[in-house]
Amino acid sequence: MEANTQAHVAFFLTGRRPSEHLDAVDGLDLWPALFAGYRDLTRLRYDFPLLLVGKRSDHLMVQSLSGLIDAALADATRGGDGERIRKHVLRLEQEIRTLVAAGAVGSFSALWDRAAGELGASADQGIEDSLRRTSAAIKKVDGDLADCDAALPARLLQHAWAAVQRQKAEQFREHVSRLVLKLSDILKADHERSEAGRSAKHLKAAVGTGFVEAFDFDAMSRMLSTALPKDEFPEPRRRRIGQLLDVLRAQQFFPTPALATKKTGAAKSYSFVFDNCAEALAAFRKRLPKLIELAKAIAIAELEIDGQYSEAKHDALFEQFGANGLDPQDLTPFPDYLVCVNAGRMQAAEHAQLMEILSSGLPIKILLQIDDILEEAPDGEGNLNSGMRSRQTANMAIGLNEVYVLQSSSSNLYRFRERMLRGLNYRGPALFSIFSGASGTASGLPPYLVSAAAMESRVFPAFTYDPSAGPNWASRFHLEANPQVDLDWPIRGFAYEDEQHQRVSEDLAFTLVDFVASDRRYARHLARVPRQKWNGSMIPVDESLTRERKGLPDKVPSLLMVDAGNVLQKVIVDERLIREARRCREMWHSLQELGGVHNSHAERLVARERKAWEERMQQEAEVLAAALPLSPPAAAAVASLEPEPERSPDEAYIETARCSTCDECTQINKQMFAYDNNKQAYIADINAGTYAQLVEAAESCQVSVIHPGKPRNPKEPGLEELLKRAEPFR
Amino acid sequence: MNMMSATECLLQMCDEHLELEDYASGVPRWCTGCGDNAILAAVQRLCRDEGLRPEKTVFVSGIGCSSRFPHYMKTYGFHGIHGRALPIAEGIRMARPDLKVFVNTGDGDCCSIGAAHWIHAIRYNMNITVFLHDNQIYGLTKKQASPTSPIGTRSNTTPRGSYLEALNPLSVTLGVQNVSFVAQAVDWIPEVLFDIVKAAYQHKGLSFVRIVQRCPEWLPTSLDPWLHDPNKVLLLNHENGLQSSAGLSRVYKNQLQHDPANIDRAREIASSTDVVPVGILYRNPEVPCYEDLRRSDTLHTPELTRDGLNAELDKYTVWPREARAA
Repeated sequence: MEANTQAHVAFFLTGRRPSEHLDAVDGLDLWPALFAGYRDLTRLRYDFPLLLVGKRSDHLMVQSLSGLIDAALADATRGGDGERIRKHVLRLEQEIRTLVAAGAVGSFSALWDRAAGELGASADQGIEDSLRRTSAAIKKVDGDLADCDAALPARLLQHAWAAVQRQKAEQFREHVSRLVLKLSDILKADHERSEAGRSAKHLKAAVGTGFVEAFDFDAMSRMLSTALPKDEFPEPRRRRIGQLLDVLRAQQFFPTPALATKKTGAAKSYSFVFDNCAEALAAFRKRLPKLIELAKAIAIAELEIDGQYSEAKHDALFEQFGANGLDPQDLTPFPDYLVCVNAGRMQAAEHAQLMEILSSGLPIKILLQIDDILEEAPDGEGNLNSGMRSRQTANMAIGLNEVYVLQSSSSNLYRFRERMLRGLNYRGPALFSIFSGASGTASGLPPYLVSAAAMESRVFPAFTYDPSAGPNWASRFHLEANPQVDLDWPIRGFAYEDEQHQRVSEDLAFTLVDFVASDRRYARHLARVPRQKWNGSMIPVDESLTRERKGLPDKVPSLLMVDAGNVLQKVIVDERLIREARRCREMWHSLQELGGVHNSHAERLVARERKAWEERMQQEAEVLAAALPLSPPAAAAVASLEPEPERSPDEAYIETARCSTCDECTQINKQMFAYDNNKQAYIADINAGTYAQLVEAAESCQVSVIHPGKPRNPKEPGLEELLKRAEPFR
Repeated sequence: MNMMSATECLLQMCDEHLELEDYASGVPRWCTGCGDNAILAAVQRLCRDEGLRPEKTVFVSGIGCSSRFPHYMKTYGFHGIHGRALPIAEGIRMARPDLKVFVNTGDGDCCSIGAAHWIHAIRYNMNITVFLHDNQIYGLTKKQASPTSPIGTRSNTTPRGSYLEALNPLSVTLGVQNVSFVAQAVDWIPEVLFDIVKAAYQHKGLSFVRIVQRCPEWLPTSLDPWLHDPNKVLLLNHENGLQSSAGLSRVYKNQLQHDPANIDRAREIASSTDVVPVGILYRNPEVPCYEDLRRSDTLHTPELTRDGLNAELDKYTVWPREARAA
């Protein structure tokens, strides 16, 4: 084996780097080659920053800056100076993106004005005009701008959660206000009918001062005392309605407008946002009795308003209301709890509480933010932790079956906004496992790129599991947000200029190794090969993963990277990282199966069916070849109508389904002819009347559905004539 | 996946299940053999099958044989004045949106004195189920020609036979803006009558059902050609409309696939004179209901009234200078 190759193979197998053949990558500031074009994100147009729009509860609660600008430009650039406007506004967009990336905070409109100032809009009439003509359309929506950073997952989820809760609060307030109004009306009506309500004083007060002289209130009171019904409103009902009103008015689950505006002395409404699972659980349990009391009051109020509450029936039923807790549907109108936790700071006990919440079906939504998915193994030797607990929590939650699970990198959250809302609206627990990309361990890569790379490399695939979407995996599990979902690794085109200044294009797979390669902690698993020592033994990582090693390897996996000057470098990888990449690919395969991509069960079934079909075709071909007389085409298979019940012409009967309820037959003999439970006639007792009555009924039937059959009594007078009359109805 | 919550189950646990007799009130005074009996049976069956609560159901009528209908239903009823069943029903619908509102009207009541209300009720498209009992004669007043009496009908007002072509309630209804449901039934095919009554009830909007019915007292034979020849009945079938049972198809072989969404075809079918089309001619669930357009979403709480009054009165307040500045 040639010396260079020997050194490469030795590094691959042992991780030991002979200095004369290979260079350390520490300090070289290498990036995966595919990232060469993304050095300065502020010059690119992409989803971020995001605009968190206030007062919206649908998917428009979050919008991308680029999307907003595009929509505004579509209207503003129709005229002849469209190109000039486009140029200025896109410059402004870039300025805003730069400001936000540098840490500027504030509303969209404020940052628009600030960026306009930076561009010198006041001094340049052209820019000023362009921005003025666009800003009217664009500033219709406003809110804070958020970049893809460590704060984004919590910020975005809290924003979406608040939007959902706002909608719930509106519905709840309207519902409770309606109940309070109706219950108050019942009590008011009761008061109007009481002695006090009919008193001259009350009547006078009700009329007001304008026409007070026009009425004799004493006479009116006397008249009403005798004219109004005397039935008393039962005291238990009055008391019950009073209690219902107390409960409804004192509820603390949603802020009431009075509380919000006038700060009355009533109890403050509860908070539902927590930063740890223990406090959220404790709060839920503490408030549960109040919740049950309120849910019960709402249910009873509905019955009271409908006039359906019956003490005899309902008292016992409602006595035990909520004894077994409330089911998720009952909990739906009430606020959901939101818990934001960071995986990096969680201890084992917190994990246990998280799983307790998820498995208990409580309406608690959990954001599990992961900043570092490449945790170091506890051995302290710069190895990747194979356990990857934080990455597995979402998979474990799916196993609970009744949890809405969303896993995504921050970079993909904008695309997942509707799914995020769906999860927040889900009845029951939801887990949002989000990778922020903000671990700070990557070689100068911004969080957006790190999080996007995690999704691209299958290290942190994006998926959702929605138990409410249907009964099976096909409807519940969605994996298709990931790039090139049917491949092991996404393949991207990559072009560069070689030493002869010629364009070279090739396809590169983006694997776990590419993702790990930019993390400083794992630099010892990589070694740069000086350009003069590049040789044919270096093969791409994805190709290496498909090879099965038998004996001494003659090829080593390598990847293309770029340095700070965007010069192409080749880096070889040790076997430890390749093992991790293989493990990552296996986990991706499992997800593919769940998502219906390369499903092994389905593929096996298809193969079996195909084989059976081929055999059947073969047999049929043989039968045809034997030139047997053709059997008649599937004439016998023509659907036959359901058989009509065989009736003997001698039997007396009515075609009940065709009876038009005209009363003709029942008027003749009510014992002989009766109506069934659909009020259609049948012969109830053939012996209850004469054959003459049967014939008369048949003749008078408007729709001719009575058939008199043969006479039962051969001695009945006039039979000969009756039989003649009955003939048309046999 | 639309499961009921435990609380919803609890609320419905004590609901009474009513039988057909629970909706029946008194013995109808209609003549023996009258088609009104078939309509009454179908409607009572609907109430039972749909579990309509009697205290939440109201039948409104005008004047005529058919308009005795509310008397025979053990629900709320309003036996109104001649031709005015529809505006009364609309008022009820507006004031009590929680009630199920039905209208029973006759060919004289609806198509003559009440014609103006009929046209506008269709246009308003309020959620009401209207049954036009069309026996083609004024029966209660003992045989006078009505607008739907066939030309040549001899009656006390037309002893030499009526001079005009009969008015076609289906084509009139189908010509009015905002029409949303039009069907035709005949009293002698109870199975289809019930299916149409049910579809009409389930439609949100004004469902107009013309029911061709016999009058055995005053026009005993006028419908005989259709009654005795199944081929003169045209059953309208469609996957989005009604589907005839196998038993019915054996008797009534004259069938047509008709999509109730097609209003032009519906108008053509409605104009047929040789056969009686039976089924749903037109249905458009997208037409908005007047009450939904007009009803305010704002809850009229005492606070709202007080705030509104204060706002009005404040317009006439003389503010101290410093308060206005603030």
